[in-house]
Amino acid sequence: MDQVKFVAEYAAHLMGCGIHTSRVIRNTKRLGDALNFDVNISVFQKSIILTIQKNETQQIFSEVIEIPALPISFEHNAELSGLSWEAVDRKLSFEEIKAKYDKIVSAPRMNQWLVLLLVGLANASFCRLFGGDWLSMFIVCIATFAGFYTRLFLQARKINHYIIFIVSAFIASMLSSTALLFNTTSDIALATSVLYLIPGVPLINGVIDIIEGHTLTGISRLTNAFLLIICIAIGLSFTLFLFTNRLV
Amino acid sequence: MILFDILSDGLFGAIAAIGFGAISNPPKRAFKFIALLGAIGHACRFCLMTYLHVDIASASLVSGLIIGFGSLWLGKPIYCPTTVIFIPALLPMIPGKYAYNTIFSQIMFLQNINQPDLKAKYMEMFFSNGMVTITVIFLLAIGATLPMFIFHSRSHSLTRRAYK
Repeated sequence: MDQVKFVAEYAAHLMGCGIHTSRVIRNTKRLGDALNFDVNISVFQKSIILTIQKNETQQIFSEVIEIPALPISFEHNAELSGLSWEAVDRKLSFEEIKAKYDKIVSAPRMNQWLVLLLVGLANASFCRLFGGDWLSMFIVCIATFAGFYTRLFLQARKINHYIIFIVSAFIASMLSSTALLFNTTSDIALATSVLYLIPGVPLINGVIDIIEGHTLTGISRLTNAFLLIICIAIGLSFTLFLFTNRLV
Repeated sequence: MILFDILSDGLFGAIAAIGFGAISNPPKRAFKFIALLGAIGHACRFCLMTYLHVDIASASLVSGLIIGFGSLWLGKPIYCPTTVIFIPALLPMIPGKYAYNTIFSQIMFLQNINQPDLKAKYMEMFFSNGMVTITVIFLLAIGATLPMFIFHSRSHSLTRRAYK
């Protein structure tokens, strides 16, 4: 019974940390093979239903598990997929699989300050790619620091993530509107300051899901991504409303 | 001078790919290939658009395909699924300027709703910019995922290590 719960938790964790649906199903079935289970899965946007048959005893278990809202983690994607292969190829016992799973899931994320620094530099070079000059790059870098820090600060306090996106987009665009004071490419600075918020992972996963026939989860991912993009637009609009006569 | 332009475009593309990738917590071993593909993809689109005068949508599709095939090829030595490498590498190619112009023209349209000539101008600006934004994002996604669907058995087993 413990093992059945573990397989369900594995599937829900994969789904929660941003992996496209067909890979979740494939990995979970493979993990089931390693434990000598026959696994059938239906994936919905908020929950997963699994029917698991133990091949030895022919017992059938049914399990419904809610998908947790986890931060996106490519590391979990790579390592947990690798774990399902390792379990099959090396015929690991349940205890070994569980221990490896716990180790992967509890591994610390990248240092938040390092991420902050990298995101600031990334958005500044983004500004450069659109044709911004060095001064706008500097302003965008500072604005991104502030905006991303706000996002981390509010996320730690578990505030509704639509509000987080609106507030972070507003703060980043407001700070980068200081570019209007100087003779620089201020519209490019404003345009790039909010781009660090773009939800690229759900957008691409949504497209992959739809193409592979998991239309339900695909559309729900795309809907979530579009709502977040609308929130970014709202945050940016507040700034633009304040400065419309200076931007034309 | 042309070479310098291409290299600097690639360099900034790589920094952007690393930074946007870092938000999603990739494995540390993946960073070098994320940077490489981000640079190649963006520099390729830059060359196509600047020197061969290809439109932004077709150039994005070609760059997306290159990134997709690259991630399929480079994923094996570091045991990473293709999505882990190509999603961060695609992000520097998001058409941010067009997305911004879409929102900007929407606001200007609403502010000038009583002036027919300005209203028509911003309406046109809204639709042309929105069209470019949506098409480019969609083509990038299609281009990068296509190799995954063509070579699906390889893309399914990228994280399989060789055990003795």
